Amino acid sequence: MTVAAGIGYALLALGPSLSLFVSVISKKPFLILTVLSSTLVWLISLIVLSGVWRGFLPLKTTIWWPFGILILTSVAFQEGLRVLFWKVYKRLEDILDAFADRVSKPHLSLTDKMQIALAGGLGHGMAHAVFFCLSLLTPAFGPATYFSDRCSQIPFFLLSAIIALAFVTIHTFSMVIAFNGYAEGNKVDQYSVPIVHLAAGMVTLINLAPGGCIVGIPLLYFIAMLTLFHCGKMAWRRLTENQSR
Amino acid sequence: MESSILESIGVEIIGVMSPVSICMFLVVLLVYSLSASNPFSPASVGTIRTAANLVYAENPSDSASQKLEGALLNALVFVILIAIVTFLLVLLYYYNFTNFLKNYMRFSAFFVLGTMGGSIFLTVIQKFSIPVDSVTCFLLLFNFTVVGVLSMFSGGIPILLRQTYMVCLGIIVAAWFTKLPEWTTWVLLVALAVYDLVAVLTPGGPLKLLVDLASTRDEELPALVYEARPTVARTGNRGASSLGLLVAGVSDSSSIELQAVSRDNVNRNENTGRSNADYSAVTLGDFQNEEAHIDRDDGERSPLVGHARERHSSSSDSSQYSTVVSPSRQDQQFNGRDHEIAGDETSPLVEMMEMGNEGRQTRVGDVEIADRGIKLGLGDFVFYSVLVGRAAMYDLMTVYACYLAIISGLGCTLILLSVCRRALPALPISIALGVIFYFLTRLLMEPFIVGAASNLMMF
Repeated sequence: MTVAAGIGYALLALGPSLSLFVSVISKKPFLILTVLSSTLVWLISLIVLSGVWRGFLPLKTTIWWPFGILILTSVAFQEGLRVLFWKVYKRLEDILDAFADRVSKPHLSLTDKMQIALAGGLGHGMAHAVFFCLSLLTPAFGPATYFSDRCSQIPFFLLSAIIALAFVTIHTFSMVIAFNGYAEGNKVDQYSVPIVHLAAGMVTLINLAPGGCIVGIPLLYFIAMLTLFHCGKMAWRRLTENQSR
Repeated sequence: MESSILESIGVEIIGVMSPVSICMFLVVLLVYSLSASNPFSPASVGTIRTAANLVYAENPSDSASQKLEGALLNALVFVILIAIVTFLLVLLYYYNFTNFLKNYMRFSAFFVLGTMGGSIFLTVIQKFSIPVDSVTCFLLLFNFTVVGVLSMFSGGIPILLRQTYMVCLGIIVAAWFTKLPEWTTWVLLVALAVYDLVAVLTPGGPLKLLVDLASTRDEELPALVYEARPTVARTGNRGASSLGLLVAGVSDSSSIELQAVSRDNVNRNENTGRSNADYSAVTLGDFQNEEAHIDRDDGERSPLVGHARERHSSSSDSSQYSTVVSPSRQDQQFNGRDHEIAGDETSPLVEMMEMGNEGRQTRVGDVEIADRGIKLGLGDFVFYSVLVGRAAMYDLMTVYACYLAIISGLGCTLILLSVCRRALPALPISIALGVIFYFLTRLLMEPFIVGAASNLMMF
């Protein structure tokens, strides 16, 4: 039963990305490699950040602003990394196209590019879910559960799984938005991605307040839905444009 | 309209990575489920006595310097043992004691599957209280073992079964190794990585000798080697997504094994008449040895762009699948030695081999370029899994970090391979990255993540 609960939490956080992985990514080896490398990039960013913050830990949980700074720096760093990721991807795209010429295959199509972006985002999202949710889940397989003081209505594991799911969604699809924004030179998309990421991070600050999770999680899901919706709209627009052309 | 580039690039790399991932995942699962049974019982860890801790038996109460010293000694002894055994193997191979080697390999596979695998099964049975009586258990184990040995060293067995057994072997040995005490494990891993580096790259290194010897004789290596073969990545060809990994074995002299891996591969080996392109089948021919396998593929292959992740060899329709005609000698993989490179673009062939001889002890791994497929030694499987399994005893976070580090190290090795085009050791980069990431994660990241996530802070 407890094993079932643990697996349930894990699937709650990672289920959607898992199905995305199986249905879209796993058929194309290159996308798998993209997922892996993007996960690695995220892990490295996390290690660098934790190296920087190591001296200041543990933070007191009574005051919120150190956490605010922590999230601010982390998001800033990761968004910087996203730009870097884009630059690398840009060069990769040229190489891929050159390679496609050589083996006389069609160039990367729009959907291909979007899938690469999706894979990159999925890597980020999965890394997030694994490190922030899955790695804490070990005790959930045991015969007990854990309630956090500030949100005593819901088990801690369930909470973190739910939050992780929202972040997986945000990470996955904001990468698609960002890549499209860079490709089109669309300033709004370019800037909205870091802002959404930062907003989502800041919303989790509400969880520090007693009972804050009741407010924080719906807000977080609102942001996630917004990202998802925007991404869907944008993908639809580009695809129809592409077809009509 | 096919997005063929994305589908065709990286097939080989994935073909190597997926079995490695499966192996690591199962080892982690095994370690997790078994170590959870009695976490505080001292009997569960460190009580076994193997060649890896001959000198010093680690005691949790020892001081750090004592442990380090003992672990270093252990690792030294172990590496020396491996070196001796490998040299012995080279010697035997040099003087053509191939029958002995072959039988020895069979015996050791039998031994590993039977005793080590058996003891692991027993633990699993005890842990999950599976109701099974001893006679049935013995019968099952015996069957498992015999089928395993047969499938690894003889032809006519479905490829999938053979692959499964290879992974099983890796899992069993790795699970056994995770019982070593902690310090010894870490030092041992590093020592092995260094040894691997030396043995493959230095002029007189035993593995280099062995590889050169095998290549001059045009034979396959006397070792347990995985070969990853690219699957066909054609659009509309769905079935080919299985791991393109297979282990080819030849049972005994004068049998030739032709393996066609994927179903619609275009077998273009022009190797004289022998290779009837028998798709999706394993046929056993019976040719009086002496024929080195020849496989020439002249499909177009991807360029070895020295760019990251870019060099995956197989272009979609190339025929690297194709038949393997193994000469009779050894029990394993032939390595595609003859670099018959047709056309200007050729895929590198990466081959890592290992000699998993000698029960659980010796391993050697290296990667080598031949002209088709990637080969990875079983030893690399084992030691990657040992690292991950050891990480699993600490936390899931370290497991994931180590997994990523190892996989990216493997990727780096493969990229290097396309640049160097010669046999390369597969352990050093991966193990170095894995160890670094383990300690970084454990020392730096964990307090950070736990501190943030336990307050439900995420970003």
